[in-house]
Amino acid sequence: MNRKYKNAVTILVIGCLICFSGCKKFLDEKTNKKLAVPNTISDLQALMDNPSKINSSSPCSGEISTDDYYLTDAKWASIAEIEQRRMYNWEKDNLFARASNDWSKVYMVIYYSNTVLEGLSTIPRTPANAPDWDNVKGQAYYCRGSSYLEAVNVWSLAYDPASSGADLGLPLRLNTNFSEVSVRANVQQTFDQLIHDIKASIPLLPVVPLSKFRPSKPAAYGLLGRAYLTMRDYENAYQYADSCLSLKSDLVDYNTLSVTDKYPFSFENNKESMYFKSISTPPIIVNTIAIISPELFNSYDASDLRKRVFFKKNTDNTYRFTGSYGGLFGYFGGVATDEMFLIKAECLARKGRVTECMDVLNKLLITRWDKTKVYVPYAATSPADALSLVLKERRKELVNRGLRWVDVKRLNKEGAGITMIRTLNNTVYKLLPNDLRSALPIPDDVIVISGMEQNKR
Amino acid sequence: MKNLFIIILLAFTFQVNAQYKITGKVVSETDAKPLTGVTIRLTLKKTTIHTDGTGSFNLILSTTTDTLEFSHLGYRKKRIAINPNTLATLIVKLELQEQVLEEVNIVSSGYQKLPKERATGSFSYIGQKTFNQQVGTTVLSRLEAVANGLFADRSTMAGDGKLIVRGLSTIRGPQGALIVLDNFPYEGNLDNLNPNDIENITVLKDAAATSIWGARAGNGVIVITTKKGNFNQPLAIDFNVNSTILTKPDLGYLKQITSADFIGVEEYLFAKRKYDDQINSIYKQGLTPIIELLVRKRQGELSESAYNAAKADLSTVSLRDQFSRYLYKQGLNQQYALSFKGGSRDHAWSLSTGYDHNSSVLDEKYNRFNVRFQNTMRPVKNLEIQTGIFYTQSKSGSGRPAYGGNEPGIALFPYARLADQQGNSLAVMRGRRVGYIDTAGRGRLLDSRYYPLEDYKHVVNTISVSDVVFNAGISYKLMKSLTADLKYQYERQQTGGRNLSDINSYFARNLINTYTQLKPGNEIIYKVPKGGILDLSNNVLQASNLRGQLNYNQQWGKHQLTAIAGAEIKSSKSISDQSRVYGYDDLLLNYGNVDYLTPMPEFLGGGSSYLTDNRNLEENLNRFVSAYANAAYTYNGKYTLSISGRSDASNLFGLTANSRWNPLWSAGASWELSKERFYHFSPVPYLRLRTTYGVSGNIDPAMSAVTTIAYVGNSDYTPSPYAAFRNFRNPDLTWESSAMLNFGLDFRFKGNRINGSLEYFSKRGTNLFGRELLDYTGGIGSEIVKNAASTKGYGFDVELNSRNIIVGNFSWTSNLNASFYQDKVVQYYLPKQRAGAYLNISPIISGVAGKPVYAIFSYKWAGLDPQNGNPRGYVNGEVSDNYTLLAGTATKFEDLNYHGSALPTFYGSLGNTFTYKDFSLTARLTYKLGYYFRKPSINYGSLFDKNNAHADYGKRWQRPGDELKTSVPSMVYPWNSLRDNFYAGSEVLVDRGDHIRLQYVNLSYQLDHNRLKFLPFKSMSVYVNAANLGLIWTANKEHIDPDYKGDNVLKPAKTFSLGIRANLN
Repeated sequence: MNRKYKNAVTILVIGCLICFSGCKKFLDEKTNKKLAVPNTISDLQALMDNPSKINSSSPCSGEISTDDYYLTDAKWASIAEIEQRRMYNWEKDNLFARASNDWSKVYMVIYYSNTVLEGLSTIPRTPANAPDWDNVKGQAYYCRGSSYLEAVNVWSLAYDPASSGADLGLPLRLNTNFSEVSVRANVQQTFDQLIHDIKASIPLLPVVPLSKFRPSKPAAYGLLGRAYLTMRDYENAYQYADSCLSLKSDLVDYNTLSVTDKYPFSFENNKESMYFKSISTPPIIVNTIAIISPELFNSYDASDLRKRVFFKKNTDNTYRFTGSYGGLFGYFGGVATDEMFLIKAECLARKGRVTECMDVLNKLLITRWDKTKVYVPYAATSPADALSLVLKERRKELVNRGLRWVDVKRLNKEGAGITMIRTLNNTVYKLLPNDLRSALPIPDDVIVISGMEQNKR
Repeated sequence: MKNLFIIILLAFTFQVNAQYKITGKVVSETDAKPLTGVTIRLTLKKTTIHTDGTGSFNLILSTTTDTLEFSHLGYRKKRIAINPNTLATLIVKLELQEQVLEEVNIVSSGYQKLPKERATGSFSYIGQKTFNQQVGTTVLSRLEAVANGLFADRSTMAGDGKLIVRGLSTIRGPQGALIVLDNFPYEGNLDNLNPNDIENITVLKDAAATSIWGARAGNGVIVITTKKGNFNQPLAIDFNVNSTILTKPDLGYLKQITSADFIGVEEYLFAKRKYDDQINSIYKQGLTPIIELLVRKRQGELSESAYNAAKADLSTVSLRDQFSRYLYKQGLNQQYALSFKGGSRDHAWSLSTGYDHNSSVLDEKYNRFNVRFQNTMRPVKNLEIQTGIFYTQSKSGSGRPAYGGNEPGIALFPYARLADQQGNSLAVMRGRRVGYIDTAGRGRLLDSRYYPLEDYKHVVNTISVSDVVFNAGISYKLMKSLTADLKYQYERQQTGGRNLSDINSYFARNLINTYTQLKPGNEIIYKVPKGGILDLSNNVLQASNLRGQLNYNQQWGKHQLTAIAGAEIKSSKSISDQSRVYGYDDLLLNYGNVDYLTPMPEFLGGGSSYLTDNRNLEENLNRFVSAYANAAYTYNGKYTLSISGRSDASNLFGLTANSRWNPLWSAGASWELSKERFYHFSPVPYLRLRTTYGVSGNIDPAMSAVTTIAYVGNSDYTPSPYAAFRNFRNPDLTWESSAMLNFGLDFRFKGNRINGSLEYFSKRGTNLFGRELLDYTGGIGSEIVKNAASTKGYGFDVELNSRNIIVGNFSWTSNLNASFYQDKVVQYYLPKQRAGAYLNISPIISGVAGKPVYAIFSYKWAGLDPQNGNPRGYVNGEVSDNYTLLAGTATKFEDLNYHGSALPTFYGSLGNTFTYKDFSLTARLTYKLGYYFRKPSINYGSLFDKNNAHADYGKRWQRPGDELKTSVPSMVYPWNSLRDNFYAGSEVLVDRGDHIRLQYVNLSYQLDHNRLKFLPFKSMSVYVNAANLGLIWTANKEHIDPDYKGDNVLKPAKTFSLGIRANLN
């Protein structure tokens, strides 16, 4: 009996051993074939190519807060989201829906970028993989820098070199440790970081990207120009806008557009656009709801094609915006050459180089002018005159591009004195220049969980 | 053999003795009533007599010794050996046979079958008789009403009718119990099983019972045992046929706003100019008939009186009534089952087939065909080979649309008119304005109107399932006490989905129109080819299990040792694909080509978009390797000790080797007190105590320890494959574990008047997956799931079977299942949470330490404002209607009311069976008590934008003074979502969920061949059954059924069945 018993146990033990020695491999199979641990360049590139995360995340809060549009009382009342109604007239708090809002979108892009940067640190760069390795690293730096720039414009006061060391900036996330305690850097540190990121991307990115959904060298120069302009560092802004234009300076002749098209632009056929990113478009700024401010609409010359390309008449004789460089894909929050012409022109004006400034401006505007009408080139008598002209054109050109809010903040720092006014149910609301409310509050739930300091409002 | 020899020997010994006489009386043991017509058989003499009207009998015996066998329908056979020394007058007491109270002798854990009397663990057993009192098509649906210690969760978001055994063992992980079919977990769709194949079901409740199933057993295990043939059994044929009528559901149960009220709301909002954007929209968004009329009235095209007449007409239309009239019908389910089984000395087999044909109240068709063949052979001594094959083929088809169901776009408005006076189908506004649809494309587009009563005829979804389970087992008896088993099972389930929207469906017409380009002249370019749209999907699930096991069973002296040890590997793979063709012609199988790569202009709106290819490929794989052993030692038939252990490893992503192996164990003991010599308590002749402690586990295969990404598809823009994050780094990921301590008491009263068990258990869940709120500055969202939570709970399970009255031909027996369970969260990461997060309408995990896992909280209520009907609460102790504060961060968790558990804490069922002669009537109640639910009420957001609102609108505050009679807030515009949220979460909408339900009534009539000789069957029963009979008591005054309370959730249809079950020998 014992012998039989022993045999049985031996067989079982051997069976188990065979089974378990093979089972390491057996158990190493993936549970889901589509899953991957992001550890190859193509995995990382696939993350950067996610259009709904990377290219659709520009904050809309600034756009909601500007005076380029208004709502009638009835339209305002029809907005279901109470947070958006409150943001519209610059309430102090409760401006963001919980958990999913501009803040979460911006920091998601930053997490994607950090994943790529960390992932690349474990993949050796070899001559064979160098072009792809550099490209995806450049994309990650670009996206992180761009996200910090967009965010700082919403949640911090305008950059002021005098106070930037004390003004509250953003919590800077530079790794994928999502459990890190959020602490706000100051505005200076925030700008230092984003300038660093964008600069780091420039040598890595190709001049011509595979698609406008990926950043490129000219786009990075352009973004850097925008960042310096925001900091009112006009010398650097000039340099980088110029570098951008030296690589790409195409302009669309608006005469070639069909003004009868409901959306004259589309993201793929627009040669001005260098990098495509859309601004999220909640109902309150959707063009069927938001009415273009008559002041803005009336500022266009009758021969200015932008008046017809950008705007269409509603049945009640008000106007809606139809001129997004993204066509139907939402408002354009990316980088395009027209902005670079305007940055360059503005900086030239500020440097006192009036003639050059007017040349740059005219080069842009002639493409906006109705060919059948006479274009009289703009001329300025003084740098101040030139600057005033450029700033007017800047507002007229960059409608719904996510730039008006930060321009107002920036220019008010220089004494432009722009007061924004809303009238709602016969009550007038005003946002005075340099009001503390020009830095939006960080979403309340983030403050509750993280214990970060909230903006004073 | 030996015994027989002695009897024969004895027979010879007493040969010389003369004749003797025995008289006697046969009575029922329970009530001493004489039994008439009892069959008395003399075993040796092979003669048979019967008792007379007084239960008496007389016997003249020639042989000196014999054995009398007393048999009587409904009573247990009794054998009495007699010899000349036997008393001349016998009183024979017959014990009632467990007709209703099924005796449980053997329970199955899936690894071994063990006598319940020796098991230390907690097993709940459902025999065929109880199981067959219900008629449903699926197996699991019958358990809810009869099993001990479980309930179906219809209270929480995750619930959806899932069976919960002894309360929750997990917070976020998979909650369903593990389902084992015979020996192995069943991976396919449980609807594949034919209930007529079921022999019995064992529910394993405590850790000692489940620990043998290791990492997947934390939520309890349900072992389904199928019928099998026996050796030495003559051919037996069983059949069962039944038909079930499903009554047309009562749509009046839905509390919906009236048409007149809804029109009133539209007029109010029109006056507030809410629809202006829609009216002026370049997209020609659809407007309801009232808004269209109001537009025309405003433009002076319609007079006041004409408007009022049209409005009065529309006010009389009721969408609900029309659904009831035109779409809902009576359903019919038919079930046929036929089985054969038999066996010779070395061969046992069974063959069964089943066919189900169902047609639901919405005319959804379901067909299922089952065949099963099982075979056991003993080709040589000590070797047993078992093979089995199950095959299921089923097909389900879509029917008519359900009320509030999958309408394309938003819900139909309450006064939508589906048919004219003559019953002809009418178009209902959908998508675009009626005037636009009629003129767009000047007749060159396809009709883009939507006809609710026609559309379902053109959208046909079918799902076909074919499932094969093949199993084989070899069992070899190595020696008397040791058997080696090798078992293998392979399962392949193929599910094919086919969804055809033909050219006449709204979906196809609308999509084709969207991409149609009308060129000058008569040229029409169809970018989406004219034709149907066909979606096909296919899923193949393949699971293999291989198990080697040694069974040891030895008895020596007063000792008995039973042990098993084994190892198994398991792999389950699922492969799916999905595709779509456009321009499909079902007659010729033609289809068209489309361009997925270029954005195509949309007819309306001037934009362009990509056409979806609707293709997808998936492949998932789960693998487990496990080793296990258990042993039970019994001394003197009284004391049993048991121990069990198991270790599992899986291919869970990113786990390190150390945490892959998850050791789980249990230990237990039992003591049969009534066998002790000092035990003299005669009213309770059987008493047994048992206790166990053990740990089982639970795993969520979707979780991963490392950051993973999943490829989503190809980006239209780059174009290249793109990916998104799926899981975020979670280095501490491990199995959830659930430890359970169980004390049980099994007892039987004298005469088996009452038997049952009483159990106490306590549970502790650790490493449970719980939400951790996250600062979303981290970039990965606002929460993460981690092994962060722990819970504890305790409860009682009581099972009582009683024979209340047994008088002559009449008996009344009862079966009571009563359970109590209460859990609370010990630890959970939810710091400084906003109070509103605890107030979801459909309860979500509240995660508050010291409170149940699912708890109901509410805002304190300060009544409606007498001035304006605003709902009010308290901010810092002050009455307030500042909703930003109330529903925002100003209300802290401490400011909320706590009501109680959202899951029932007392639950169970009570079955009563009355038998009279051959009639048997069973009625079963189920109950859920000791919990709370949130009542649905008006949500103004959904009223304003989704055409859908609760009837409480009619009770809203309208003028000062109303606050005294109602708590429904006034209507305000613009919509304030926070005001709606505050009201929905307030205490006025919390009520007790307690209810008692009449689950089913079953009446059967048994015909027996012994008495009705003309019957071609051995026995036959005819039964009628009524089920889902509804609530008989509920604690809430509105008579809301807390199990069916959501928007558009109907109560299940009442069913009435008639059937015949027979067996031929």
